[in-house]
Amino acid sequence: MKNSSLWIILQRMRTPFLVIVITYTISILGMAIIPGIDNNGNTYHMSIFDAFYFITYTATTIGFGEIPYTFTYPQRMWVSFSIYFDVLGWFYSIGSLVALLQDKLFIQELAKNRFKRQINNLKEKYILVLGYNLITSEIIKKAIESGIRAVVIEKDQAKVHELMLENFTPQVPVLNADAYNPQALEMAGINSIYCKAVVSLFQDDALNLRIALTAKLLNPKVRLAVKATTQSDVENLQDFGVDIIENPFDIIASQTNKALNSHHLLRLERWIYGSIKLTDPFMKFPVGKYVMCGFGRMGEVIYKVLKENNLEVKCIEKDASKLKYLKEDEKNDVSYVESYDKKSLINVGVQDAKYIVIGTKNDTTNLSVALTAKKLNPNITTIVRENEMEDFSIFQTDKIDHILMPSRILIDKTINAIIRPSADLFVKNLDTLSDKDAQGIIKTLLEIDNEPILFELKVTKNESFELYKRIGKKLNVTLDLLRQSLKDKDHLNNVFIFMIYRKSGEIMLPSWDEKLHKDDVVLIGCDKNALEEIELMANNFNEFEFAFFGKEYSVLKNLFSKTQDNI
Amino acid sequence: MNLDKVISGFFIILAMTLNFGFFYGDLADIGLHDKYELFAAIVVNVIATILKLGDRTQMGSVLLATSLVAVIQLIAAASVWTIGINTVGIIDSGLSSIIVSLSGGALLANITSVFLYIGDTLKSRR
Repeated sequence: MKNSSLWIILQRMRTPFLVIVITYTISILGMAIIPGIDNNGNTYHMSIFDAFYFITYTATTIGFGEIPYTFTYPQRMWVSFSIYFDVLGWFYSIGSLVALLQDKLFIQELAKNRFKRQINNLKEKYILVLGYNLITSEIIKKAIESGIRAVVIEKDQAKVHELMLENFTPQVPVLNADAYNPQALEMAGINSIYCKAVVSLFQDDALNLRIALTAKLLNPKVRLAVKATTQSDVENLQDFGVDIIENPFDIIASQTNKALNSHHLLRLERWIYGSIKLTDPFMKFPVGKYVMCGFGRMGEVIYKVLKENNLEVKCIEKDASKLKYLKEDEKNDVSYVESYDKKSLINVGVQDAKYIVIGTKNDTTNLSVALTAKKLNPNITTIVRENEMEDFSIFQTDKIDHILMPSRILIDKTINAIIRPSADLFVKNLDTLSDKDAQGIIKTLLEIDNEPILFELKVTKNESFELYKRIGKKLNVTLDLLRQSLKDKDHLNNVFIFMIYRKSGEIMLPSWDEKLHKDDVVLIGCDKNALEEIELMANNFNEFEFAFFGKEYSVLKNLFSKTQDNI
Repeated sequence: MNLDKVISGFFIILAMTLNFGFFYGDLADIGLHDKYELFAAIVVNVIATILKLGDRTQMGSVLLATSLVAVIQLIAAASVWTIGINTVGIIDSGLSSIIVSLSGGALLANITSVFLYIGDTLKSRR
């Protein structure tokens, strides 16, 4: 009884069906009762089947003629009557059916059924993305690139069409419904074993909170990536047990802090997120006077970080309502201006400032302030917030030194947390490392390759069959094995191990003689060749044999002296 | 009183009574079974079936199933009659027994339907 579109048809077609049956019955009875005359002039009565046959082709306006014999006048009178009677009934029924097919409810019902079928047939890992916009579209693209499918729930019909026009391959099933609706979430397979994560990055914090609550009620085990921009929301989400909480302004604050104090750590963090390449010029904020434009949520967090580092900061803000709740110490540094023009920039001291941070919500304002500031003080370094994500950015000019993009940070963080949960954990633990460690790691990574690959090796039965099996046999498998070249016994591959993650706790930067356990997740940075060889030895008996014992497995030798079981 | 209940109850019971009327009589003698009564039984059964369409409850589904069985049996009987008269030319005792026993099967389905319907009505408190 799940298929409600069929039931809608049946229920709506009740009256049309009844109309057809009744009109047919009356006409058929009439034809059978009214006497006719056969070719020899004898009276005869049409059989019921003949009458049914005649009415069937007459009512549908096919009209084969008068059979079996030419009709008498009383018969013809009855036929004239029944033609109008039946044809009207027939057309009415067809009209109802056509109207039903165009009925919005019915079409929605069909779309829902198609969506359900798609979800049922989806036998791969997927993420459930709530709301379709530029940010989530970017996330979907990256997920598909890494072999993870996506399913979308979107309320706005126009955006649903937009997604369909995007032509994602493989297809992205989309349901047109409210994202906080439990039924919609269930239909989208929140309880499915293939559902890897639910992503909810709406602008509205309250909506995100509501979705997190609903999702956790439906499936307490599901991973949730939820955006929150205030501290209280972050705490609420933590209480629900949400795994990935994303506060873009928090990330910006911590990145600003790192840019001031430990830029190598920042470089490593941004590389793991996939925001930059290791060879890119890096963000390093020197000590000096800072000027800030815009004191919104982002301005506030950056201000706090700068103040904590005992730097001189002056802020200007156009929106008086944002200045109502200033704390005492902030009042000295934050001032109200009518507009971000040349005069107010000079007043706040752009000419002798070393840095200007421009973080309003308006991209055009941000850009024009940056250009003005550069004009007033050519030596100033500009850090500008970019809000809108476009294919072609107007911010790509040499007047702007660093771009802060909350939406980009959100994308990188989400996708990293979903595809490589261990890498996300590593970033979380970065604070335990010193800047010097980070510098060392970057140096090692650059020795491996200009663009090293970051991947996680899961020591599970499905993903590294051979390794899992051998560890079970009490072989002493250490991390050293992972860098063993499969071509030459005495050669080592370019491999760097970031972290081992196991249930009892993670080990940051483990040494080479660290033992591997079952169900470990190893976060590895390496070049392409090493990646291939690690995957080979993790899954192939002979390759493992060579990597571990340094020689090929000999069938003859083991055939006779086999004592241990081979499974 | 519920007009819907009156109408559907009327057709469901009429379907059974007409069916019985046709079925009653010597199995082998087609003269005792009227073709118009069979026609009426088919029409009323079809109407009863349509009235049961679209009911998503458990009871509605079983009622619909019984009606479908009855309609199929009766239409099979009518088909045998038509084919018999147009190919053999006469309804002999063999054909007659096929037609009447088919309608007998439909009668059983109709009786089931009526029992279920009455049971459902008794259970309902409104």
